[in-house]
Amino acid sequence: MLNRALRDSVDEVLETMFFIRRLGEPEENLSESELAVQLTFEGNPSGTLTLRMTATAARSVAADFLGEEELELSHQQIGDVLRELANMICGSVLSRVESDTTFRLGSPQLVEPEQGSGSMQESASAGQPAQANGEGGQRDPIVHAVEISHGVMVVTVQTEAPECLTAEKLAF
Amino acid sequence: MAYRVLVVDDSPAMRSFVRRVIELSGFALSTCFEAANGQEALDVLRNEWVDAILTDINMPVVDGEEFLRRLAADELLRSIPAIVISTDATQNRIARLLSLGARGYVTKPFLPEVLRAELEKTLGVPCD
Repeated sequence: MLNRALRDSVDEVLETMFFIRRLGEPEENLSESELAVQLTFEGNPSGTLTLRMTATAARSVAADFLGEEELELSHQQIGDVLRELANMICGSVLSRVESDTTFRLGSPQLVEPEQGSGSMQESASAGQPAQANGEGGQRDPIVHAVEISHGVMVVTVQTEAPECLTAEKLAF
Repeated sequence: MAYRVLVVDDSPAMRSFVRRVIELSGFALSTCFEAANGQEALDVLRNEWVDAILTDINMPVVDGEEFLRRLAADELLRSIPAIVISTDATQNRIARLLSLGARGYVTKPFLPEVLRAELEKTLGVPCD
């Protein structure tokens, strides 16, 4: 369910707000520098969403969103757009899986790409997203990688296992 | 008739996008004011009259819910219609914000014509 919600949300946000249609699955060999944004969310489930994008694609996406020339954009503007993109994808995913409950989104932050789950190359070549129970109270991450104009975007959703949520609530 | 609109969002990118979308949609916009949170918005409203407010929910200092409460408590400002723009499409959230005084709700992502339609409906703009 979360897999489908993530895929649908990425497509809808890119097409509706950024006027971008994804080109398909990314190629395996990626070597470009990347930017990463991360935000936490609380609800049922709680967890973290990480969005990573190649630098060239990030500049292109920001230009589309702001209606400005790529070369005129500052790093601050590109970061603002990536934060907003992550925020919209996360909100869209959670609205699809939590239609009757309220969730809370944290503030998206730019992070070092290494803070995401693995390199973009690993994520992009990982094939279809998968979900299974992992260790340490977290499920295995759900990863969705898409090729867009001028690069690749990878979105990773890491959720906490329900039993962990219960244990944490009891601890407080 | 052209309208004066206040956009309240802590994301400069989102404020810029909303302004551009309003213009591109063909909505009759005369002036677009901006504020980064509810407190800044109240400061703007002390000096400028607007016809409608478009506000985010999750913002620092004064968030969208508190902003709606303060608008509703202000005799001069309570008549200005506020439309919430948010990523949160859950029914509980929408119902709560409408109960706080929001006159409309637009979920991100949205098409330009959806935002225009919500603005025109809220303002009672006659159809073309």
